[in-house]
Amino acid sequence: MADEMTLAELAEASGLAARTIRFYIARGLLDGPVKAGRAAAYTVEHLARLEKIKKLQAQGRMLSEIGRSLAGGTTPERYAAAPTAWWRHAIADDVVVLTRSDASPWRTRQIREAIDELARSLQSAGDEKRSRK
Amino acid sequence: MSSTAANFGPIAASGKEALRLAMQRLWLTGRVLPAGAHLTIQHVFRSEEEKPLEVIYSFPLPRDAALRAFRITGDGFEVHSELIETEAAVQAYERGIAEGSLSALARQYGDGVVNLTVGNVRPNETVTVYLELLAGVELRDDGFRFRFPFTLAPAYHARMKAARVSEEEGEMELPPDQFGDMLLPRFRKDADSLHEVGFDISVLHQLTIDEIGSPSHSIRIRQDGMAPAHVALAAERDVPNRDLVLDVRFKEIASQVLSGATGDGVRSFAAIVPSTLFGVSPKTARRTVIVLDRSGSMQGAPIEQARKAIEACLAVLSKEDSFGVVAFNNNVESLHPTLQVASSENRDKARAFLRQVNASGGTALAAGFEAAASMLNGASGDVLILTDGQVAGTEQILAQARATNIRLFCLGIGSASQDRFLSLLARETGGVSRFVTARERVDLPAVDLFASMGPPAASGLKTAGNVQPEPPSVVFAGNPVLLFGELSGTPETLDLTWDGGQMSLPIPTGDGQTGQTVRLLQGSRLITDWESRYPAEQALAPLEKRKQSRVAERLSALSRTYGLASREMSLVAVVKRQSDRPGEIPETRIVPVGMPQDVKFEAYFPPAPPQDFAVAVAAPLGCVIEAAQVGYTPKPEIRRSFGLAALRGMFQKSHTPDLDSKIESTDDLLVHLASQLEPDGGMPGQSAPERAARSIAALLAFVASGHTLTSGAFRSHVARLVQYLKSTGEVPDRKILDVAIRAAGTGKVPPGDWLAMARTSSVPWRQVEKALTL
Repeated sequence: MADEMTLAELAEASGLAARTIRFYIARGLLDGPVKAGRAAAYTVEHLARLEKIKKLQAQGRMLSEIGRSLAGGTTPERYAAAPTAWWRHAIADDVVVLTRSDASPWRTRQIREAIDELARSLQSAGDEKRSRK
Repeated sequence: MSSTAANFGPIAASGKEALRLAMQRLWLTGRVLPAGAHLTIQHVFRSEEEKPLEVIYSFPLPRDAALRAFRITGDGFEVHSELIETEAAVQAYERGIAEGSLSALARQYGDGVVNLTVGNVRPNETVTVYLELLAGVELRDDGFRFRFPFTLAPAYHARMKAARVSEEEGEMELPPDQFGDMLLPRFRKDADSLHEVGFDISVLHQLTIDEIGSPSHSIRIRQDGMAPAHVALAAERDVPNRDLVLDVRFKEIASQVLSGATGDGVRSFAAIVPSTLFGVSPKTARRTVIVLDRSGSMQGAPIEQARKAIEACLAVLSKEDSFGVVAFNNNVESLHPTLQVASSENRDKARAFLRQVNASGGTALAAGFEAAASMLNGASGDVLILTDGQVAGTEQILAQARATNIRLFCLGIGSASQDRFLSLLARETGGVSRFVTARERVDLPAVDLFASMGPPAASGLKTAGNVQPEPPSVVFAGNPVLLFGELSGTPETLDLTWDGGQMSLPIPTGDGQTGQTVRLLQGSRLITDWESRYPAEQALAPLEKRKQSRVAERLSALSRTYGLASREMSLVAVVKRQSDRPGEIPETRIVPVGMPQDVKFEAYFPPAPPQDFAVAVAAPLGCVIEAAQVGYTPKPEIRRSFGLAALRGMFQKSHTPDLDSKIESTDDLLVHLASQLEPDGGMPGQSAPERAARSIAALLAFVASGHTLTSGAFRSHVARLVQYLKSTGEVPDRKILDVAIRAAGTGKVPPGDWLAMARTSSVPWRQVEKALTL
């Protein structure tokens, strides 16, 4: 691969549409081209950044979160009002998980799946321990 | 058409700073016919940025819609779009952008979402795109409803991600492997600061118009006899937070044929044949499952009204009928795993079940109708779904619905359109759909739709000649049949046959413009049907692989034949100007849309979750609710009992002033009466004469309000009351019963305040006898 690519070549290499790449640039997720005008060019760093964005998206992160994370931010912008209530999930005799009650449907689903998984893993760990005794 | 006011300057609701809008205006014009609409939407884009802009406007197609063309205009130029293969269109657009030329691309994605992208709008330049599209209407025997989306509703998908990005805005992302590079807008809580919208359209008609109304907007109507009626927004401008909904009702119920020459000796036509011309539905035992969407977006009046509607529908059922009730969000709950006989006891159980149903969570629509299918257990029966239809990935849901092999009747509820999806869901399974705004009564349309269910008015419908798409094999009461076709040569009639009947429909010569419009409407309907059968994994595959897809091949052929866009063919235009500056990257902006006015912003974009668990625990907890078992579904209605603010939210009514009113309307009373019918069809009472008296009062209250044996939403209730009165004995004078029964047939009501009498819980026989013998 050449050191420098056109936008069309970068789109081809990354598997993303050129419009999507421009959108990422506008959102600050990706730097603009290294040269301006007709010779506008992109480098392997651009490609690597796009691959990273795709990977983070596949992990369930939203572009706004990815933007903050790539910018090196540790304190995400938050627009959270104080929670009015929490759900208390007693998943084992010695483990209680609190979750915010007003999370969105998709987030609630993710959280419940994670809690189910944790509960199952604690349950099987407990069973193993008992069977060894 | 009014022009953009020079001083139009939107101000942000928060902060009051002037907003720099990439799109400033969206204005709808065109012609609405009883078979569909031919529309032009004006989009005015303006850049006040220092760099060139690339603006993306994302919108949903109306029902049975397809894009035809656009023209792009500005200072000293006007260019028309080309319809070419989507890959070639994207390449042409990108070449235009790379050369610094003003370029525009209209591309359709799954779920009927379109991205209109206009790139290289120069600083301080105004560019206008006039987009032409064809759209269907929702037909009824006595008229039609036209619906046009001015905003895009957020939609639930199991893999969607949503977040609030500011106090005022939320954003949503859908998985690229299923939705490709489609870009969704940000959803703004307050639409006041967004682009202006409006409309000025003509309504063409063959039958005399009784009434034109809009439950969504204040309208100005100019109407003169049989000339086209002009309907415009009454105010100077409006905001993009709901669909435009127009109802057109005719004075009579009759066939309408729109036609005209479209080629050498070829005549295209659209025929609308009311169900009443096919006969009446035979009475057989009903097997019905009612499926209620209880997802978070149904919060407020929609679920309240849906509950009432279900109660009224259940009242139509008799002892021979059986029913089931299913409520779904992410989970599915059923009244009972199997169908139950429609006894008083079981209907009381259904009422108790519905009372505990509250709206929360996501919309697992397929799980809802699959539960209904399992309840019908392979035997015949009907399913009525009450939903806002706010789901993404609809092609997959449609495939699941077809696989269940059950007939779905859909009642859509909402201020932003998922009309396209629900009309497909009903049509593809052989049912019927209605879509109401959340500010209308939802119970009456539900009862009306319920009355259409059950045995069809006609079966085995066939037509001679070239009719496409294939006519539906069955006709349901209240719902006309719409046929598109072509005649060539000498025949000037269309012959229809069905089990036990036939009809010959004259096709007039018509005019060329109407012929051309109905031909385009036929194309947009065919494209919509095929689009709905295009699975995401095929639609997003590379071109070489797609060439093997039957759906892709069919869509390409339809696009070429009718000159309409589809997912395989897109519209593109490039405006080459001497001052183009190649290589400059335009700044990409997505036009935000307003949250649909009856959907709570927080239902999709709740406050962001806490940054980390430690912080969360350290925060003042306020309260903790026990969720004792893992996998237990949290029920927000329990949470609402904590805190005064939450309590206020629970009882706050968001809209529908008539519902807030303590004064009971006639429709409220009729719904109440309908819900009281006993399984034998009569009203309750202490004795046979009292039951007969109350039934007569109720029957005449329905008839006095325009509901008879064959028309009106409560026609099924009228029929059941009549059946009861015919069969009841033990009354002092049968002649009194006969007077009431005759009134139901003729629609002529004996003098008396029957509504007031029906309202009381006890009606002595003497009172009815006196009123009817005067």
